[in-house]
Amino acid sequence: MRDTLRWSYALNQWNYRLDVFVRHEDQQRALKTVSACGFDHVELASGTGRWDNIARPEVILLNHGSHQGFLDFLRRARVQGVSSMFWDPQAPAEEEEGYAFRSTADPADHDAIVEWARPLVDFVAGVGAEQLVVRPVGSAWMSPPLDADGIKLVGEVWNRIGELTSAAGVGLALHYDCLGAVHTADELRALLAATDPATVGFALDTAELTVGGIDPVAFYREDAERVTHVHLKDTRYADTGEEYRMPGAESTMLKGGAGRRIERWFFELGTEGGLVDVPGFVAALRERDYGGWVVVESDHGGNPAELAMLNSWYLQHELGIPKR
Amino acid sequence: MGWTKWSYMDHWVTETPQGPQPPQFNRAYMDRYVKQLSALGFTGFDTFFFYLHALGGMYGSVPGFERFLQDNGFDKITGIFSAYPNATRYTAPHVRETHDRIVADCTNTLRACEGLTGVENFIVMPTSTYFQTEPVTDDTIKVVADLWNRVGRLTLEHGMRTTCHFEFWGAIRTREQLDTFFRHTDPEYVFFFCDTAQHTIAGVDPVQVFRDYADRCTGFHFKDTRTVDEHEAYRTPPDPELMAPGVDRWFYPMGEGGLVDFPSLMKEIVRSGYDGWLTVEHDKAELGGGTYAEATAVAKWYIDNVLAEAQAEAEAEVAAR
Repeated sequence: MRDTLRWSYALNQWNYRLDVFVRHEDQQRALKTVSACGFDHVELASGTGRWDNIARPEVILLNHGSHQGFLDFLRRARVQGVSSMFWDPQAPAEEEEGYAFRSTADPADHDAIVEWARPLVDFVAGVGAEQLVVRPVGSAWMSPPLDADGIKLVGEVWNRIGELTSAAGVGLALHYDCLGAVHTADELRALLAATDPATVGFALDTAELTVGGIDPVAFYREDAERVTHVHLKDTRYADTGEEYRMPGAESTMLKGGAGRRIERWFFELGTEGGLVDVPGFVAALRERDYGGWVVVESDHGGNPAELAMLNSWYLQHELGIPKR
Repeated sequence: MGWTKWSYMDHWVTETPQGPQPPQFNRAYMDRYVKQLSALGFTGFDTFFFYLHALGGMYGSVPGFERFLQDNGFDKITGIFSAYPNATRYTAPHVRETHDRIVADCTNTLRACEGLTGVENFIVMPTSTYFQTEPVTDDTIKVVADLWNRVGRLTLEHGMRTTCHFEFWGAIRTREQLDTFFRHTDPEYVFFFCDTAQHTIAGVDPVQVFRDYADRCTGFHFKDTRTVDEHEAYRTPPDPELMAPGVDRWFYPMGEGGLVDFPSLMKEIVRSGYDGWLTVEHDKAELGGGTYAEATAVAKWYIDNVLAEAQAEAEAEVAAR
């Protein structure tokens, strides 16, 4: 996209199960799709194991030999680089003490989580990416509510990892999601207040905030100085019934297993009935001279190629951004 | 500058609440389909005659659909595809007694196109299946040629060129049969449409046949194949395209290791001075688990990166002459 904002595309939706999106030719097709839609950078999502060879740093390097080898692989499809990488330390990975369950809310787990972060930080720096985007805390339904002290403890581990990322020359961005134990705008601001603005930024996801009941445009206008990364996507629903507290909310809420039985929460830009004021949000980014990446995501919404093209159409036709 | 006249031939299937369906499922799906082609930069749209009424229903009229295309950056509907792949006692191009009916059908299709900006190609399969037509003699080809001379004169009155798209399983498939057909047809009324995969499967070099008939060529289907039919699969009843023993899939998207040399064809197109539409066709993209959406995006990537380079090389070569 030829624009003053820097646009990237998230690859997470292609990798929907551990044994798909493994063969290099399948990955090349996805990369070419993203490139044909006008995006020349991608965001990777961390994973685990031998088949996550476009997700788990150690496995990427095993496949491509070096950071440069991986960049060469991307550039075969005319994707020039990696904007960012997403990591959730609460998601068990075999590389992280053999699928250990640890929590950023538990200070006893902090040393281990800091160690787990090292290969990700090294990889993000090695491929010239700008941000390590992280899920700061686990799902609300899995633990007791966090009080102010609890949020400060969560902030401590991210400050430690922020020192690592800063030393490596990359950013660390805490990503709000609608199931997280840090849920309200006040809780979110408390978490940001507990972290060092010099080393820890905020990854604002327009749909996740909206589902969680937070207006992304208003939040951005009030806290623009902390926003170092953006995920742009739409939703048709807000979680008005606190479904995020249901046991197994990843399935019961986000896959419609219970509650209102909404089977799809995230939608492409321009979707009918979308709740996100995308033009307003992008205008706000421009007003504040936002300098980070804007990553368009089709996060669990349907056919990944169709959604990439529809998102591209929206940027070109509704936001007036030329593809090249 | 890259080639600006790329069109897309409408075979899509998309996922709907009623399972996989063509995007003509309803207006919302059709809108999404057009927006996706638009996002990639296609500016022409080719469709089948049998979709025209559905499109008219969804958009108020066929010109109403074309206006929606134009609102999304397209120039126009560029081609209408019409065919009688299955010979019946009512319609069979090699049976002269059915020609009046075929001409009447074509007249109906032309009426459905009234008010459009300017469809350029009335694309036809000149014959039905080989096994229903054989023996294919010079006389058989002459009967077929007479039909398309009639239709060609008719469509030209409506601004469209009748252009013949040959199938590997059709009754006119070899180079010798192609030459005979073109000898029997009037170059004023009957044109050539080059489908790269169909000719390759039939053992005909698409680059050479384009070189030889460039002055009658009005369009292309850019698609690939991995198989040349060396065992007379083209004669397989009831259907060689989907039921030939030993070949599960004949057609593939370009740029994925097939037999067609697309960069050479692109260079030949530039050298010839051809300045018409080039069309991407994905026929059976879903076989093997693929999707039309991804195939379309990957095809446009191939156009923007590989074919654009071939085009630029040939243009430099022409300029240096």
